[in-house]
Amino acid sequence: MLVLAWRNLWRHRTRSLGAAVAVGFVVWMSVLYFGLVGGTRDGLYVNLTDAVGHVQIHVRDYRDMRDFRQALIPAAGALRARIQAALPGSQVAATLEVPALLSGQDRARGAMLAGLDQPPAIRERFGEKYLTEGRLPGAADLDGIVLGGGLARTLQVGLGDTVYAYAPGTDGTGASAYTVVGILHFPEPAQDARGAILSLAAAQELAAPGALTRFELHVPEFRRTTDDAGLVPLRDRLQEALGQQVVVETWRETYPALSDLEQALRPIVLMFVGIFFVLTGLLVVNTIYLSVIERTREFGVVIALGARRGRVMRMVLTESLVLCGTGAAVGLALGLPIVARMARGFAYPFDWGEIAEAYGLPRVMYASIAPVEVVIIVAFAIGIGVLAALWPARVAGRLAPVEAMRFVA
Amino acid sequence: MDALVRVRGLTKIYRLDGQQTTALNDVSLDIAPGEFTAIAGPSGSGKSTLLHLIGGLDHPTAGEVWLEGERIDRLDHNRLAELRLRSFGFVFQAYNLIPVLSAVENAAFVLELRGVPRAERERRARRALTDLGIGDLWRRRPNQLSGGQQQRVAVARALAAEPKVILADEPTANLDGTTGIALIDEMKHLNREHGVTFVVATHDPRLLERVNRIVYLEDGRIVRDEARAP
Repeated sequence: MLVLAWRNLWRHRTRSLGAAVAVGFVVWMSVLYFGLVGGTRDGLYVNLTDAVGHVQIHVRDYRDMRDFRQALIPAAGALRARIQAALPGSQVAATLEVPALLSGQDRARGAMLAGLDQPPAIRERFGEKYLTEGRLPGAADLDGIVLGGGLARTLQVGLGDTVYAYAPGTDGTGASAYTVVGILHFPEPAQDARGAILSLAAAQELAAPGALTRFELHVPEFRRTTDDAGLVPLRDRLQEALGQQVVVETWRETYPALSDLEQALRPIVLMFVGIFFVLTGLLVVNTIYLSVIERTREFGVVIALGARRGRVMRMVLTESLVLCGTGAAVGLALGLPIVARMARGFAYPFDWGEIAEAYGLPRVMYASIAPVEVVIIVAFAIGIGVLAALWPARVAGRLAPVEAMRFVA
Repeated sequence: MDALVRVRGLTKIYRLDGQQTTALNDVSLDIAPGEFTAIAGPSGSGKSTLLHLIGGLDHPTAGEVWLEGERIDRLDHNRLAELRLRSFGFVFQAYNLIPVLSAVENAAFVLELRGVPRAERERRARRALTDLGIGDLWRRRPNQLSGGQQQRVAVARALAAEPKVILADEPTANLDGTTGIALIDEMKHLNREHGVTFVVATHDPRLLERVNRIVYLEDGRIVRDEARAP
């Protein structure tokens, strides 16, 4: 039946080739599309998890705490030791967030100070990404502060200027003077207008000695969205090791909106790919239907010789599947090597890298297509082959042999 | 001898645009196994319609068709298809070969529909082609064969499946004199040597001279049924 289907498709090679090329093009394009979006998701994933960690540790019910002091993890040093004992080799970042009033010479502004203690690699990427002037304060630097660009403009300060911070603390209100050592540019305007970075030691000295708002656990081997499945067992293991005083959450649980953003990409791709396949399917329907109509007499003979309706319908279905299968095979053969090449890394042409960076994406992307996405594309192609054949197959299967054999095209 | 095919009171009325045309009117006949029967008559006399009804290609308006004691005129589409596949061989005036298949693939097509394994069906198809004198043309496609050769392939297609009855509708109408006679002789040979039952609709006098029996139809009725000693 396959041989017959193949030869029948070659009767009108221009028409069949046109339909097969259309299927092949859509498969090829879908492979690239999935590959690029997979790379985008992975880039987004790396950026998001660089910023917030893969797993976060807070005090229990921290979301319900009105006062930042209630949400602090006390005796954080001991907890850090337990984290590193539970997951040796993991990279732990510590953050103390303190609401404060920041003042320059003439102006003051409410701000969120973040005292950071980051692993060197994360700190380096953070600096590369956000720092526009100066440097980040060192781990033992108690005087340096880095301001968001919007905040620096509001306070009318620049590098080397002094700013004063007033903050509620665990031991009463704290006040301190800092020297601006760097300016950051955060893509998020609210963060740019309110964000300031200190060393963790400086923030603790100002507001909460020995305490933290959260730990962030960075797992270097988790660089792709597909690695994310490993986070839940890791979270559970850590929760068991740390006890019930703290809560361990994956980044998706801590930031569901970011998780939704990252997860929305695949349905969007599926929708577009689906539309492309439906449009191609119309072309395949046209090809198969014309082929059936032109061969009405021949189908009449086949039925007269004893083929059941189901057999005739399978003949038409096979032609459609051979057509779509051939197109899909060629599309995959041309598309997958390109994605494999782009998986080694590629930069955006022109100045699109800057645009991508503004949207939180890396300048260098690594295309990525999951096996399940290849299966989805093949399933789309097969599905189109089946759906496109249904109507023509029904027409062929219901032919009355005597009338069909009298048919003149 | 019990009839292989039994037809009783067969009537076929076509309705088109409110007009009724009686193609067959109360036709009854028996065909014995091994007979070579011709259905003769002028164009429009109902020859092809009778063959179609005997072969289960169409349903009669009234009457009965029996094959080996089983009534077949009331069978549904799928059971009729199965009956045609197992019991009947068809040869059409216009050959009706499948153009993308070679001679041997065409001859083996019915066997393929029956699910006979490839090697077995090719062996039987090539033997049928050889019996009909075109064994050396087995690779050729229909468009590489003459009309006579194509009709031989069509006969081989019917023959290879070893049906109970071969129904042939004007098999020599599109063939020149020599080719037509050669085909008739081969059909006659198959009938005599292998006992294949033929029912042939024709008005070709060359063919009528070589059959056992001629059933004459006019206006859908049998007007004469004569046995012959060819």
